[in-house]
Amino acid sequence: MERISQHQFMTLGAAVLMGTTFFPIASVVTGVGGRDGWMSVLPGFAVGIPYGLMVLSLVKRYPGKNLLQISETLFGKWIGKVIGVLYILITGYFGGLLLGQVGDIYQASAMPLTPISVFYLGGMLVVFCLVWSGIEVFARFSEVVFSVTVIALLLEVGLSIPRIEQGELFPILSEGFKPLFWGGIKVVPFAMEYILFLAGLAAFLPSSMSNQAMGQLKAGVWRAVLVVGILNTLVTLMQILVFGPTETIRLVYGLLVLGNIVEVSRTIAGVETLFLGVWLGALVIKVSAFYFTVLWGLETVFSLQGLKWNLAVGIVFLGIAFMFTRGHSLIQEIGFVDNYLIFPFAAVWILALWGVAIWKKRTST
Amino acid sequence: MRSWLKMLKELTIRPKGERQIRKSPSYSFDEDLDKSLSGQTVKDILSKSSDVVFREFFLQGKERIPCMVVAVDGLVDKNLLDQFILKPLMVDLIGNPELAKVTLSNVVDITLQSLLPGLEIKKISKMGDAVEAILSGDSVIFFGNLTEAIVIGAKGWANRGVTEPITESIVKGPREGFSETLRTNTSLLRRKIKHPSLRIISLKLGDMTNTDLVVTYIEKIASPDIVAEVIKRLEKIKMDGMLGNGYIEEMIEDHPYSPFPQISFTERPDVLAGKLLEGKVGMICDGTPIVLVVPAVLTEFLNVNEDYYQRAMVAILSRFVRYLGALIAMLAPSIYIAVTTFHQEIIPTDLLMSISAGRQGVPFPALLEALTMTVTLEVLQEAGLRLPKPIGQTIGIVGALIIGESAVKAGLVSPLMVIIIGLTAVASYAIPTFDLGLAVRLIRFPIMILAGILGFFGVAVGLYLLLIHLLSLRSFGVPYLSPIAPLRIRALLQDTFVRAPWWALKRRPNLIDVEEPRSGGKGKG
Repeated sequence: MERISQHQFMTLGAAVLMGTTFFPIASVVTGVGGRDGWMSVLPGFAVGIPYGLMVLSLVKRYPGKNLLQISETLFGKWIGKVIGVLYILITGYFGGLLLGQVGDIYQASAMPLTPISVFYLGGMLVVFCLVWSGIEVFARFSEVVFSVTVIALLLEVGLSIPRIEQGELFPILSEGFKPLFWGGIKVVPFAMEYILFLAGLAAFLPSSMSNQAMGQLKAGVWRAVLVVGILNTLVTLMQILVFGPTETIRLVYGLLVLGNIVEVSRTIAGVETLFLGVWLGALVIKVSAFYFTVLWGLETVFSLQGLKWNLAVGIVFLGIAFMFTRGHSLIQEIGFVDNYLIFPFAAVWILALWGVAIWKKRTST
Repeated sequence: MRSWLKMLKELTIRPKGERQIRKSPSYSFDEDLDKSLSGQTVKDILSKSSDVVFREFFLQGKERIPCMVVAVDGLVDKNLLDQFILKPLMVDLIGNPELAKVTLSNVVDITLQSLLPGLEIKKISKMGDAVEAILSGDSVIFFGNLTEAIVIGAKGWANRGVTEPITESIVKGPREGFSETLRTNTSLLRRKIKHPSLRIISLKLGDMTNTDLVVTYIEKIASPDIVAEVIKRLEKIKMDGMLGNGYIEEMIEDHPYSPFPQISFTERPDVLAGKLLEGKVGMICDGTPIVLVVPAVLTEFLNVNEDYYQRAMVAILSRFVRYLGALIAMLAPSIYIAVTTFHQEIIPTDLLMSISAGRQGVPFPALLEALTMTVTLEVLQEAGLRLPKPIGQTIGIVGALIIGESAVKAGLVSPLMVIIIGLTAVASYAIPTFDLGLAVRLIRFPIMILAGILGFFGVAVGLYLLLIHLLSLRSFGVPYLSPIAPLRIRALLQDTFVRAPWWALKRRPNLIDVEEPRSGGKGKG
């Protein structure tokens, strides 16, 4: 069985957590938290830390098993299977929607005349090759692409500085702390997407781990959440500073618009087209992560594996992507799955699993 | 249909066990080698070859013993043979008390111990060993009908000597290069690493060619697993002819269908020594000046030995230029196609107007224009490569100046396209390794087509697929994109994109499981 290192666990986690959260995050948190929304990004992501640590404590107790297998052990076979089916359905549906975002972003911002199906197929081809290459190659891919994504984000934020409008940020905390809380709640589902991926990834960690290695993994969770939280805070802050809160809420892909108004010393304008290549990589990581979760789920629950099932999952993803062709309906659906499926499912499942594991440990001792 | 499928399968699926091509059939020659050793049988086997010399004489000891020296004319040092083998036995030793004791039963032992001087001298009793020794350039002495003989190392043939390698020229550094003679090459290496832990393991490859090959590494620095894997893969090769490094390369590399080279090579002893000191394993094959080195990672093919002789800052600049050159060589035509076809918005208006004016009247789309020009470039490169130097230069001038200028004047291509192709050609020469240059040339075409169909989205898809391919490659267990992925920060900062000053290179690059530190510090970093 393939294994990944502690460092790869960290970068893979960070890359999946980051995904393309930098597209909707500004609009989402500003919609609830107003001009102070940027302050709720990091606390929202931080919810992922206790959940990540819960996953790691389960991994330590049940080495070499993913959380679906642990569920069957702790809750019994049938409840475990039901959880597995829910896991497959939710992650599969969400992965398909994210694939749809590939076409949506490209058609909306760079190539409006090209048929959207071409983008779906191109994205799917990359995702399929990546998934077929295995988790080790996926981890290495995310090491490269995540670094490039971070550089590109910082570059875009940096290049946008001349566009900052004075006074958009003030007054700070004019409506108190309440909007920040609701803004944070809106961010939590992003962290839960990451937790769902960790639930399956757990099986690929080394089966016998020293306390030092476990410490490194825990630090990896902290680092991943902090890096992604800070970057997303920067992106949100910059959009509020450039567009103002009202326009930030209206722009679903605010970062793309930001990229389009960037100009490099009157030589290269509209660099978003170039950045889109990087964003495609980030999307590929996120879609591949959910592709993997579906495959792990199918293998654990139904013992289905091999090329045939890999292709079947790809076809399902394409089918879902084609269902929601573009624009607002796709974003609404992604928001719905995030808030009403992924968030409650991951929050309850992981907590219950961890609680039962602790309880069983106590009763056995 | 079925036979076609079978043939396709044979061509595409490499057997996992023995790496085997054209295994030699069971010749009667092989059967002869199983016979017991005798001078007469050797004569029967080799007498049909006019270059094999049989010198028969008598050794006058206690008994008169018929002897025969067998050697291959051209492979043996005749002077050595005459002065130190034939002359002592036939002239100088007459009257020697030791010679007086010689009978047929003790002739081999007394000759070995007392009569013949020489360092490389040994007794053999197998027919195969005798034939192999003769055909490798040694001389064999047979005595009467004895089933034992003596092999004397007296190799000596014409070789081109130690000259400067053409493919790895250098401004500041040693000028010597490997030659086609194995022993010369190992001696050049020994002169660089005068340490007992340098290991040189001999192997023979090719049923018919019996090519000598040595595997060399430094014990305790090289990973034992990699050394064992190299020897295992070499021993699994079963083929009748082994005529050079290219044969070995394809037989032992991990991914034979990848366009990327997975085994590095050098013609320079200093480069080989440097790589061995990093924990790598070298393969020196007789008959070729190219030495193969494993494991190899992608970045290694963009770094050259001159980097280590120049000052660090100069080396960093050179490396940056080379990496940039590789990117331009791979992507410049694709970016031109994508920008002019799909993404004009990223070009400032003034430049866009200029490009548009240049393209006015060009009857072809940018993709076809670029493909035509790139194919022309490839043809010119291929034509110029194997022609004598003066003619090659003429071809280059005719191609670059006359065809290019005429094409622009005729309105077949835009001036910017000619600039882009020229830039691509120049940039591709910045790639120091020929094999990697070929891979980049090969990859350029699909990315151009993707750019022509899908713009930057196509380029991105192509590059991600390429990245996935590179990430899935391994060279003898080492990930091909190391130290970028998996990330090894120390190796990345010390000797990959940059070259740290020598005083900062305290530890060996930890791409492979290196056992000892370079100097001081901890090992296994």
